[in-house]
Amino acid sequence: MDFRFDIIVHYLPVLLKGTLFTIGVSIVSILCGSILGLGMGFGKMAPKWYFRWPFHSYINFFRGTPLYVQILIVHFGVIPLFYGTTNVLMTSFVALSLNSAAYSAEIFRAGIQSIDPGQREAALSLGMSKWQAMRFIILPQAIKRMVPAFGNEFIVLVKDSSLLALIAAPEIMYWSNTMKGQYLRIWEPYLTAAFIYFILTYSLSKLLNYIERKV
Amino acid sequence: MGIRKKWAMSALVAFLVLSMVGCGSNNNAKSGDAAEESIKFASDASYAPMEYMDTDTIKGFDIDFIKAVMEEAGIDYTVTNTGWDTMLSSVKQGTEYQAGLSSVSITDERKETYDYSIPYFESTNMIMVKEGSDIKNALDLKDKTVAVQGATTADDLMSGIMGVDNTKLRRFESNAVALMELKGGGADAVVADIAIVNEYIKNNPKEKVTGILDKENFGSEYYGILYPKGSEWKAKLDPAIKAVIENGKYAEIYKTWFGEEPDTATLLSAE
Repeated sequence: MDFRFDIIVHYLPVLLKGTLFTIGVSIVSILCGSILGLGMGFGKMAPKWYFRWPFHSYINFFRGTPLYVQILIVHFGVIPLFYGTTNVLMTSFVALSLNSAAYSAEIFRAGIQSIDPGQREAALSLGMSKWQAMRFIILPQAIKRMVPAFGNEFIVLVKDSSLLALIAAPEIMYWSNTMKGQYLRIWEPYLTAAFIYFILTYSLSKLLNYIERKV
Repeated sequence: MGIRKKWAMSALVAFLVLSMVGCGSNNNAKSGDAAEESIKFASDASYAPMEYMDTDTIKGFDIDFIKAVMEEAGIDYTVTNTGWDTMLSSVKQGTEYQAGLSSVSITDERKETYDYSIPYFESTNMIMVKEGSDIKNALDLKDKTVAVQGATTADDLMSGIMGVDNTKLRRFESNAVALMELKGGGADAVVADIAIVNEYIKNNPKEKVTGILDKENFGSEYYGILYPKGSEWKAKLDPAIKAVIENGKYAEIYKTWFGEEPDTATLLSAE
C-alpha cells in the first residue's frame, strides 16, 4: 500500500498547532462546563418545580440534540446576537461549554443524590448548617464517585471538538481535511488525525486513572 | 434465542437492505441486458448547479452532460450521490464505482493519485464580497479573512496567495456554510467557482453581495471525470466526450444551465 509519509511530515507543523487548539478549547470548555454544570445540577435538584424547570429544559435540550446542530445554532444564531458577527473562537468555547454543562449537571446531580440521605441528616443533627453539610460531608464523598464519570465526559469532549471543523475552527480535524483537499488522499489525513486523538485521549485517561487513585 | 430475537434480526436485515436500495442508483440511462458492460459514477451532489440533489433525484449540468456522453458511447451507467470522501476512496479502488463525476478540477498534484478524462468544463474562481467592500481583486484578499470550501481549487489558489497555514483563510465543509459565514460577518470574502457564486447571487437578490471576476490572478481551470490510475474507461469515454462537445449537444446543455454559449474551442484545445 502506498502510504505517503512525506505529506504528513509536510503538514506536521499545522497539525501540531491544531492539536494545541484542540487542547486549549477542551480545557477551557471543560472548566466552564463544570462550573456551569455544578450550578445547573443544584438547580435541577431545587424543591420547587418552577425553579427546577428552566434547568430541566436546558439539560434536556443539550442532551437531546446533536452537538453538530448546536455548533451551527451557536455559530450562526447565538454568537452574532451578542457579538455582532460570527466568531469561530467564541463559538468553539461557547458551544462546547454549553454542551458539556448539560452532561456535567447530570454527573453532579447523580453524584450528590447517590450519597445516602442519612449522611446529611446526621450532619444536620450534629448542628451543621445545610451548607456545611454539603461542603464537608456530602460533596467530598460525592466527588469521589463523580471522578470516573467526569473523566469519561472529558474524553468525549476532546473527541467531539473535532466537529468544530464544520465551522472552520483550526483544530486537528480541520487541518487533516486541508491535507485531504490538497492531495485528494484520505488515508494519510484520517489515520494521522485518529492517531493524534488517540494519543490525547489515552494520556488523558492515564491521568484520570492516577487522579482516581489519589482522590 | 426466542422468536422475538429472530424477528428483530430479520427486521434489521430488511432495514439494511431497504436503506441500501434507497441510497442506490438514481439515474439509469436505459436498462440494457446485464451482459453489457456498464459504469457506475460516484458524485458529491452538493454543488449546485453542477450537481445537486432535488429531494431524491440527482440533477445538474454534469448529470445532463454525462447523459449525452453515455448515449453517444452507448454504455449503461448510473450516477450515485456518495459524498466527496466516499467518492475519492471508492474511485481510487475502482471496484464499486469506476469513475467520479463531481466538477473535479484537474490539477497536477491530484494527477499523482488519479487519472482524468479530457477536460469537459472550463471554469474560473470568483470572489464574492458584500457591497461597498474595498476588495477589488484577489491580491486585496491577502490580509483579509477569506472563506472557501476546503479541498477545492479556491482553497488551492487562496493557500497560494495567503499561505496554507494562514488561519485567516478558513476552509468550510461546503460552499453553503462558507457563504453563510460571509453573511454572518465572520469572513470578508468568499472565493468559489463562478457557477456557484452566480447561482447564489441569483437566488439571494435581497442580500447585498457582488461577485468579482479576476482573470489575472485566478486563471482558467478545467473539470475532468475522475478515474482510478490506469483505468480503461478513459480510452472508452474520451472520444464520446469529444464528440458531444463537437456536435453541439454540449452547447445545448450548457445554454439550458447557464444561459450562454460555451467556449468549446478553448475547451477542446485545453488538454
